Amino acid sequence: MTKLILSTSNIMNGGPSIIRRPTSERSNVELINALRTNFLASKQAFAPITNGTPETSQTKPPGHKPQDIPYSMWTARDGDSLFIPSIEFSDSGLAEERSQYDITVKLFFLPHTSASKRCTHTQEAIDLVLKVLKMPSIDLLIVSFPGVSFDADDEEEEDEEPNWTQQSSEEDLNAMIDTWRAVEHLHKEGTALQVGVSEFGSERLQKFLQRTKVRPSVDQINVRDCCVVPKSLILYAKQEKIELLTHNDCTNVLPSGTVRELLGPGENGAAVLAGPEGREGLKGEIEPQWVVKYTAVIRDRGVIENKGYIAMAEISD
Amino acid sequence: MLSARALGTPLEWPEAKKNANHVREWGIEQLLAIWKRAKGKERDALRWGDEIEYLVVAFDEEKRKVRLSLRQADILRDLAQDAALREQGGCVPELQTVIHDGDAIPVFHPEFGRFMLEATPGKPWGIGFKDLLDVEPNMKSRRVIAKDHMKSNEYPITLTTFPRLGTKDDFITPYFPPSGERLRSQFLPDEIANPHIRFPTLAANIRSRRGRKVEINVPIFKDKNTPRPFMDPTIDFNLHKWPEDDDVRNGAAKPDHIYMDAMAFGMGSCCLQITFQAKNITEGRRLYDQLSPLGPIMLALTAATPIYKGFLADTDVRWNQISRAVDDRTPEELGEVPLKNDRWRIPKSRYASNSTYISQDSQLRKEYMDPDLVVDKDLKQRLMDGGMDDLLAAHFAHLFIRDPLVIFAEDLKELDLTKTDHFENLQSTNWQHIRFKPPPPDKDTGWRVEFRPMEIQITDFENAAFAIFIVLITRAILSFDLNFYIPIPLTTQNMETAHARNAVLDHKFHFRNDPLPARPVKINGASGTTTPAGQPSRPPTPTGPVSDEHSLMTINEIMNGQSQSHCQPGFPGLIPLVESYLNSVNVDVETRCELARYLDLIGKRASGQLWTGAKWIRHFVREHNDYEGDSVVSEGVNYDLVKAVEEITEREGKSGVGVEMFRAR
Repeated sequence: MTKLILSTSNIMNGGPSIIRRPTSERSNVELINALRTNFLASKQAFAPITNGTPETSQTKPPGHKPQDIPYSMWTARDGDSLFIPSIEFSDSGLAEERSQYDITVKLFFLPHTSASKRCTHTQEAIDLVLKVLKMPSIDLLIVSFPGVSFDADDEEEEDEEPNWTQQSSEEDLNAMIDTWRAVEHLHKEGTALQVGVSEFGSERLQKFLQRTKVRPSVDQINVRDCCVVPKSLILYAKQEKIELLTHNDCTNVLPSGTVRELLGPGENGAAVLAGPEGREGLKGEIEPQWVVKYTAVIRDRGVIENKGYIAMAEISD
Repeated sequence: MLSARALGTPLEWPEAKKNANHVREWGIEQLLAIWKRAKGKERDALRWGDEIEYLVVAFDEEKRKVRLSLRQADILRDLAQDAALREQGGCVPELQTVIHDGDAIPVFHPEFGRFMLEATPGKPWGIGFKDLLDVEPNMKSRRVIAKDHMKSNEYPITLTTFPRLGTKDDFITPYFPPSGERLRSQFLPDEIANPHIRFPTLAANIRSRRGRKVEINVPIFKDKNTPRPFMDPTIDFNLHKWPEDDDVRNGAAKPDHIYMDAMAFGMGSCCLQITFQAKNITEGRRLYDQLSPLGPIMLALTAATPIYKGFLADTDVRWNQISRAVDDRTPEELGEVPLKNDRWRIPKSRYASNSTYISQDSQLRKEYMDPDLVVDKDLKQRLMDGGMDDLLAAHFAHLFIRDPLVIFAEDLKELDLTKTDHFENLQSTNWQHIRFKPPPPDKDTGWRVEFRPMEIQITDFENAAFAIFIVLITRAILSFDLNFYIPIPLTTQNMETAHARNAVLDHKFHFRNDPLPARPVKINGASGTTTPAGQPSRPPTPTGPVSDEHSLMTINEIMNGQSQSHCQPGFPGLIPLVESYLNSVNVDVETRCELARYLDLIGKRASGQLWTGAKWIRHFVREHNDYEGDSVVSEGVNYDLVKAVEEITEREGKSGVGVEMFRAR
């Protein structure tokens, strides 16, 4: 089994990945575009040198289509991990010292992964982010569980059973709490100064809080709902000193079909996966495991210096 | 803001002119001292402030008339006494009801017009998103405090101009007859201006330098019964009190225009100005450049000035009127006669859109620079000899082509390099639409940029919305490294376009097609995951013809975004860019919801779903029963208009009056 580590690099200066219509549906367009852009840019940078000058998009000689550049040239293998593209950790990192930044990391667990694996994933994802940013800790770690989605309408009539309790809620909650232990661990060792959850309604929050050792200090709600968050949740959050923040992510940010397309041999693919005409490449079933989004904002200036995504998918060899 | 200063003996014009070089040279030395002291200043936090300017009106219910109140000094004195009491721990009940504990008390300032007040927050705002929620309540409390120190029939309104300033009747209280020694206006008395010696001197010296009165001609709005041609009926061609009374006989008043002749017609306008502190000089220079192309767009979008001197104008904004009201250029400088005594022809008034870009940015192409830029070459050389780079030296050497207007004899004795008075003398009388402000002598303040084109809005809700929008767009500019560069002459042209009636919907503006930076090119893997520590990578200088970089867009397209076509991504829109920014930072639901209200207002003003103030005011006049279709805004119509404005200030359209500006039907 190989772990594929997909990364976007800093998307703040990678113009094309800015979402053109952020007000439209919640979307993972930013992540997908940013990955695609970064793959392409890396390929071009690692393309064979002709006449002593590296190829750029402007001086592309015939016969070197991005599809033809073998992935081994712009990716890097480290043990059982394949970095797509390779990450130059020596060049990365934030410009100023830790105290200048507000660093928020959001970890998306993807469907079909077990709680025990999620604990490992949490550590793995945070380690990578810290390595990329060259920072010893982050300010806020938010975890997003698959299939958990706040619905303002559910909360309106408080005596009705909210939706989620109907779907084997006890098991869900147990799994979440098990995962939360890894989050609590990061908090206790000082890696994540604050921790939070995403898309929890007041009922779920209440049950969750009863079983946590380290309480979440943040609950993220989709910006679509920010003006219709029910009073009950606002009051409850205030009482429990949980800050309700907004986000614009979808919960299933990286379906496996999307990864296959991103890495595949097709027109928009990175040609990491084997092609139909016997072109060399990885073979096997791909299963995305987690996605992490990190944002470093310069604290008293409100300027985003670095934002990026890292995703991990497993491919069975 | 026109800052008051200690009293001294101001020089009359011929004397001031003789000392102009002296002041300029000392000003440049002071600038160099400031620059050397502060160029390495780093890591200043974002602090920002807004300035709200009010007209004080007095209602006369009995006569159904509204006048401008000239009690600025009395009101300020009462406010100052109250503030002093409060600082001593005294209790002023009406203040305590509006100011929360721990809030800094707002600061009130005098302005040029004696009927004006300016209020700023007691302490600057930060970028804490919760701070943003305090802006609107703070603006409202400023107005309440101001009102509490006025007579019961007086009210602070935020119209850009008083619709009947300069009419033949008693439009001011107390009343003074026109045609004084300082302004020599046939419409306004000298007493219209703040009596502080600086202000009348400024007005008189602008007039003297020019060699005649200032000349403001605003095109008349031609309604169905407006006389054609229209000759401003309020002009008296037979006055013979001052030499300047000849101006109108020499053709100063143009047919089909509303004619005005004094600084107070322009400097008596209220604006909404926002000042930001930058992290360092580099960021300040970048913001100065990037905000410049946004100026005309925000001017047209905030349009609120359709009436002058009791007539409907065919323009919607105040800018050019202020520009002409302080235009001190001589006939030689204006190009009306060949150059003989003056040094150069000058294309723009001291109050005008910017003519420089100053950022040391790889995205700045030389093709964007103003080919008509006039600089004082000697002063520029002096700055460069002092170590300043070409771009910044050219900027200040451009501001320093002007003469200092108010010189105090006491200040000419000794050059004090720890002070900034001579530098500020020129800097503060160059009223460009963006101002780059070096740090004052105190250690706490950094390099700042002032955004000056916006028109004041009737309500504090709107004023907060536009102020906060500008703050957020600066954060988006810095975060996404946005590039709005277009050639400066196009911004100059856009500024003119912004004046047209209903320009916000009916006209197109030059704007950059793609504001997103090109991705830095990676070379053989040398560039890594993130910006290398210490040396942020800059996007490459764009290539290709400059004319392909920009096109004509509607304000709706600029604000809300162009629709994507098959091969062109389309301009993303300033509001979506701000939303992109907000989606990337931690904002709580309450703040985000409030910000959504502001962005919704601005987006709908741009799309035409909501009306600008100018459109609403014009519509109000034209639909009024007493309006005769002849462009005249009579005393009765004005009374009802200002009454309605007062109601809108309080109710924000909720009573139905002015709803077109706030809620789409």
